[in-house]
Amino acid sequence: MSKQAPVIEATKRDRLGTRYARRLRTAGRLPAVIYGHKKDPVAIDMDLKQTLLVLHHGSRLLSVSVEGKAETCMVKDLQFDYLGTNVIHMDLARVDLTERVTVQARLNFIGTPAGLKVPGAIFRTISETVEVTCTAADIPSEAIPIDISHLEAGAFLTAGELGLPPELTLEEEADTPVCRIAMVSEEEEEPDEAAEGEPEVIGEAEASDEAAADGEESKDE
Amino acid sequence: MPRMPKRTKYRKQQRGRMKGNATSGNYVAFGDFGLQSLETAWVTARQLEAGRIAAAHYLHRQGKVFIRVFPDKPISKKPLETRMGKGKADTDYWAARVKPGTVLFEIAGVPELAAKNALARVAMKMPTRCRLIERRLTV
Repeated sequence: MSKQAPVIEATKRDRLGTRYARRLRTAGRLPAVIYGHKKDPVAIDMDLKQTLLVLHHGSRLLSVSVEGKAETCMVKDLQFDYLGTNVIHMDLARVDLTERVTVQARLNFIGTPAGLKVPGAIFRTISETVEVTCTAADIPSEAIPIDISHLEAGAFLTAGELGLPPELTLEEEADTPVCRIAMVSEEEEEPDEAAEGEPEVIGEAEASDEAAADGEESKDE
Repeated sequence: MPRMPKRTKYRKQQRGRMKGNATSGNYVAFGDFGLQSLETAWVTARQLEAGRIAAAHYLHRQGKVFIRVFPDKPISKKPLETRMGKGKADTDYWAARVKPGTVLFEIAGVPELAAKNALARVAMKMPTRCRLIERRLTV
């Protein structure tokens, strides 16, 4: 759990818009906005490298110092560029450390599942995060370690079985699967008979049936 | 067997135009590693199948390969030595529309090195420049 939120120095942005944000990014800054707690939103920019380092270490609670005044904020959203690699903007929400917030807690699966010894078994992550509620001070600063060494082939691990720390309250259904040991079938890509040749055209078959029915009716007359 | 739709609303399509970047299907969603296109192209069903086979052979049936695009666009082609006119030709092959950023393949359940090597082989079968990506930061 986070003991102390990392401090990030930020400056207020006077000029807003795509053009100015782009100039900031080329200068190694990350545009961001702070909002929440019924105060006016503040457009800021912060050092990109330092922010990314903090984010990659897993911190989602930051102490943002704007013009000497520090505010505790939670990372609410990240915007990526078109290739999904670079962070181009960050949303920060003001929080009190005693306030209860809903966050996505990341999971770190540790251990080698027993079921992987079975030929054709693979470990599949269904969800890398679970939705939890906690006080802002208890927002996990790193991924929660989950032991999966007991998982047998074909077995699921559900959200209720994760064994989360007591300060985190699970918000998802307890039977939501999180990961499993899946069996890769020998012949996954069987040639589909329906997919061979020409695909069926919707409407044409019905039209031909109707035409045939009409023909039969006219014969009867 | 190359992939194609089972049912379609219309037998033939106009060529259309692709501009801009991918706004959906542009991040790793199912696997651990993905192959992302950096260019615009029609990726044919044969190319996708070649990529799948390349990955499956390298991985020796370990792990799981996800194909994130589906060839649902019929491409028609006139036969050789045919005069112009007489209407639009029959469908020759099926293709998936791919824009820069589209994730083509994903691999799950194998170590990083194996996934990277497999996707490098898949990339050789693709008509576009590709790069390998991992899951991105989540909030």
